[in-house]
Amino acid sequence: MMDAPARSRAISLEVNGEQIEMEVQARRLLVHFIRDDLGLTGTHVGCDTGNCGACTIHLDGEPVKSCMALAVQADGAKIRTVEGLAAEGELTPLQQAFNTHHALQCGYCTPGMLMSATALLERTPHPTEEEVRYALQGNLCRCTGYVNIVEAVIAVGGSA
Amino acid sequence: MLLREVDYARPATVEEAISLLAKYEGARPLAGGQTIVNVMKARVAAPDVLVDLADLDELRTIGFSSDGLLEIGAMVTYTQLMGSSEVEVARPILAEVASTIADVQVRNRGTVGGNVCVSDPTNHLPPLLTTLGATFTIQGGSGERTVSAEEFFIGVYVTAVGEGELLTKIGVPPSSGSGDGFAGVTIGKHGTYIVNAAATISGDGARIALGCVGATPVRATAMEERLAGSDFSEESIRSAADGLGASLDPPSDVHGSSDFRRHLAEVSAVRAVSQAAERRTGA
Amino acid sequence: MTTVTEQPTTTLKRGYVGQSIPRKEDRRLVQGLGTFFDDVRRHGMGYVHFVRSPYAHAKIVSIDVSKALELEGVYGTITGDEVAIHTDPFFEMSVEPGGNIKDYALAVGRVRFMGEPVAAVCAATRELARDAADLVEVDYDPLPVLVDAEESLKDDVVLHDDAGSNVVWSGVFNWGDVDEALAEADHVVKIDRLHFHRFSSTPLECAGALVEYDKGTGEWTLTCNHQMPGVGAIWMAPALRTGIDKLRFVTHDIGGGFGNKICLHPQYVVLCLMARKLGRPVQWTEWRTDQHTANAHGNERTFLDVEVAVKADGTMTGFKVKALDDCGAFPRYEPLGCIIWAQVTPGLYGWRNIQVDFTQVCTNKSPVSPNRGYSRMQHLWLTERIIDIVATELGLDPVDVRKKNYVKAEQMPYETPNGCFYDSGDYAAALDIALDLIDYGSIEQRRKEAASRGKLLGFGIGSTLDSGTNNFGQSTLLNPDLQFSGNNEAASVKLDIFGEVVVTIGTVPQGQGHETTAAQVVADILGCPPEQVNVRRGHDTWFNSHAGFSGTYASQFAFTGLGAVKGAAELVREDMIQLAAAVLQAPAEAIELADGFARIKDGPEEAALPFMALGAIVNANNAFFPPDFNPTLNHRYVCRPNFGMVDTEKKTGQLTLTYATQIHAALVEIDPETGEVEIVDYAAVDDCGVRINPQIVEGQVHGATAHAIGAALSEEFVYDEEGTLLTANFYDYHVPHAMDMPPLKTGAMESPSPVAPLGAKGMGEGGGGGIHCIGAAIQDALQAAGKAIVYTSCNPPHRVWSMLQDPEATRANVEVVSK
Repeated sequence: MMDAPARSRAISLEVNGEQIEMEVQARRLLVHFIRDDLGLTGTHVGCDTGNCGACTIHLDGEPVKSCMALAVQADGAKIRTVEGLAAEGELTPLQQAFNTHHALQCGYCTPGMLMSATALLERTPHPTEEEVRYALQGNLCRCTGYVNIVEAVIAVGGSA
Repeated sequence: MLLREVDYARPATVEEAISLLAKYEGARPLAGGQTIVNVMKARVAAPDVLVDLADLDELRTIGFSSDGLLEIGAMVTYTQLMGSSEVEVARPILAEVASTIADVQVRNRGTVGGNVCVSDPTNHLPPLLTTLGATFTIQGGSGERTVSAEEFFIGVYVTAVGEGELLTKIGVPPSSGSGDGFAGVTIGKHGTYIVNAAATISGDGARIALGCVGATPVRATAMEERLAGSDFSEESIRSAADGLGASLDPPSDVHGSSDFRRHLAEVSAVRAVSQAAERRTGA
Repeated sequence: MTTVTEQPTTTLKRGYVGQSIPRKEDRRLVQGLGTFFDDVRRHGMGYVHFVRSPYAHAKIVSIDVSKALELEGVYGTITGDEVAIHTDPFFEMSVEPGGNIKDYALAVGRVRFMGEPVAAVCAATRELARDAADLVEVDYDPLPVLVDAEESLKDDVVLHDDAGSNVVWSGVFNWGDVDEALAEADHVVKIDRLHFHRFSSTPLECAGALVEYDKGTGEWTLTCNHQMPGVGAIWMAPALRTGIDKLRFVTHDIGGGFGNKICLHPQYVVLCLMARKLGRPVQWTEWRTDQHTANAHGNERTFLDVEVAVKADGTMTGFKVKALDDCGAFPRYEPLGCIIWAQVTPGLYGWRNIQVDFTQVCTNKSPVSPNRGYSRMQHLWLTERIIDIVATELGLDPVDVRKKNYVKAEQMPYETPNGCFYDSGDYAAALDIALDLIDYGSIEQRRKEAASRGKLLGFGIGSTLDSGTNNFGQSTLLNPDLQFSGNNEAASVKLDIFGEVVVTIGTVPQGQGHETTAAQVVADILGCPPEQVNVRRGHDTWFNSHAGFSGTYASQFAFTGLGAVKGAAELVREDMIQLAAAVLQAPAEAIELADGFARIKDGPEEAALPFMALGAIVNANNAFFPPDFNPTLNHRYVCRPNFGMVDTEKKTGQLTLTYATQIHAALVEIDPETGEVEIVDYAAVDDCGVRINPQIVEGQVHGATAHAIGAALSEEFVYDEEGTLLTANFYDYHVPHAMDMPPLKTGAMESPSPVAPLGAKGMGEGGGGGIHCIGAAIQDALQAAGKAIVYTSCNPPHRVWSMLQDPEATRANVEVVSK
């Protein structure tokens, strides 16, 4: 039977290892679903045009901008947010490196940066500076000039 | 940032998708959503129904047709294009250009079909596919048709895909010794193009198309003609480009006047053609 | 990264202060566990959306909210008419005519810029609030639009009828005798026009607040990201016809501010009215497009009729200029921008004869507000442009001419012509570090190499000062009736029952690491590790930890913020010593605080009290104290620097306290075919005196540099003739991303401030060094292709291409008259 168009939809997805079932409006952006409906406020909104990357999450293992997807599009998907990085409060090497290298100031872009950099390191464990900059191009930071962010990511690769 | 109410459906087959698009007035296909969701956030456009193509796996494949054409499904993402061995063998410029579109996150969601169906004059793929001589397969309730790039791109945000129709795949001839080039000027690295140019040089001569200078890709036909039989030395390419700018009527905006775009069109065309010439292997 | 660190000349004892200890803030932030205002929810709260003007200038004929109110889930609306009834216009700082402007929280009767809020709606969800906003019907009658400051000056169209003129403020600043200097000069270099463009730091978190009204007490609580709540309250309370004590500002983590979150009072007043009207918590989150269109731009300033007096040997003795500042539709904080540049009147140079004829006007553009480098950056850009234009015109070397004209290290502390004191620094030495970092000796060779690739290489210097800690007395230069002077900041330190050291600060940080640096200072004073010091996050008016001008702005934390922390910690330390002396029955002089203990110096091991014992005795076990013995272990301290009063006649006085130095140097390559500019080498040298935490200092240098690079090459708020902002999002307003940023080399010097409590100078803002050095480098590169003069602070490809096409048009701006 064909799926008839509807204003809302019951979706089922895995978020940070937890199974979620919820009815959402078709117009609900994935980022608002994550922040407002699931209360995972680590994922941020920094723009309204998909440029800044503060809302970056992993959707089925790939970094994507959750402000450019509808929650209904995530039906059946696996999502990881920044809250899913540090298991039991144990910081990942990347999170630790962000602290050691002073790779954050206001911390608003940080969750998105971490999600993009984590995806990079999963694919390319020892990235070059050029690869790091390429992987982080979709994440804007207005505090750091990226210097220490790039340094932190490279350092994790070097120590891996 | 916040969308108007919209109905959403996620069909399981291409046929279902087409019948939904045909049945509901104001229905639009939703591919990667990297443009349409943005447009809806701004409430500049507000389709009544979104038909999500996410489950149409047959549109996510890259392969070869029986006559050797590289066939790219409309739902193939830029990231997929970049990692495809078929693309690398048949037409590597596609992966090269895809790797400069926006950023990692956008490339993970954005699709080839979405890029061309949006027909934004600043997009990368329309001029490139124009020079590559790509063909576009459109499926509707009454069957399938295939059109050329010149027929496909009709205007800003308007293509040959009609109501109740769906772009299913794009066919690209393999390079077979030809050289492809792409050049332009962006707002920041890998940003929106101010002007771009794509070029292909094969035994049939040069094909050159410009982006951002008109509603649809503009073929530099006079320059192509002047390059017929050329040795593709820098000097001959430059002299062939002479007058190209004057033949155009590009828009003015905050990133450049019409004059600046005319000038950049010549510079970009020269650079794209030079790159293509260097890359010929069959010459 | 190259870091060159000169030997510090300070004699201050260093413990944790001076170390790059990793930040305490980070642990929560890297886990997504920070709390930003939009993360906070309240039961039954409504979401607010503003209806904004699509016109830059229009009469509001009517507003009809009935359709919005009919929509299910809509809680209510507020329009300008209600605002005019229930509030008073905001306090205006300027004298007449600007002082007569009536600025309400929503447009009343007329809109004056695109995006100006005309009504607000509140609904059950974010989406519904926007749906309802779309249903509000506003009928406008368009008026002629002013987008050019020089047009505004003519007053053919007047934005504010109450003022009767578009001029907000004007005044002539005259120090020394510039006419005599020009008469005695060997060369007079004249520059018709220079333009400093509109941009802003665009913090990644937009503005917003959650506002609750307590009907029983008449108090509002604003969980928000205002970066200067004290000043926010001074605006808001009178407008709301209430007392300042009825406004409680709470901030947690703030996603960047850079000055752009100082002028949020109009929107916040609307939220207060809405919360009171509806009897429910209301929340507003600004979206990026709104932020760009209608929140806070940096000052746009045009410099006209510049004349510079130059001696035959390249010594510059003075300059005169007419400065025309465009503050957008409402001045708000902004008239202060007419004055604040004077903190750095001569830039880094020794010229003594300076005349600035300053005028600020309104236009139909977004209001401006402080923005990193506020008002000084524009003026320093002028001084740096002057130096490089003079150098280019007279064939002087940009390094030599700077060294010749810089204020010398041996002149420190140096009194400027307008009575400010440059406290310390060695500009020529800092320049040498920058030149080393960039390998200055190889430039001509690199120029040739670039030319062989068809590129134009250019070198440029930007030398700037970051003046720290405002003397609000400078506002009396604007308006002698203003009752503002000096500055202050508060902090409290206590030792709690179980030995916890708890610090509250008034500074409302937005990423500057105050929790860490304050802990370093306290740890050194109390003799414990920084991990033992808990610096409370953010700001809460109820903690009474703030003073009148509390906030993080004007590069002053290192002075007033840490000065207050130091003062409070020393009072607690004194209590701890007195208490330990009493308990251990030893003289106070014999007690030392170290390693988390109060103990007798060189005494037996058992003659030591852990902090826990001290805290427990004072807080829970104190009956044995003699009547006149009352250590509290809980102190508030207000750091109030000495400024003296400002002379409003001569326009002189100590306008600020510390002067950090930044010397930036850039090498750029221009593609002459496209006008694209690539930065191929970059060095930033910073001297902010004692560095409390060098890593944090360096982070601020990186950030300020990135802002400057963005501003120099792409970030620009551009309006069309109808007053439509053409760069309202991050596509068109391009900020540098990781691939755009060149590698940065950084260097540092430490010239401790003789006036600051810790020898540390404020340094967060920087002076826009990147804007100056990139502009200079572009001009240098263009000398090989038509010799254009760089006349504007933003040079994206199309502008560089125009300079290459028509260099004469830029050169027509400049004239040299030699004797």
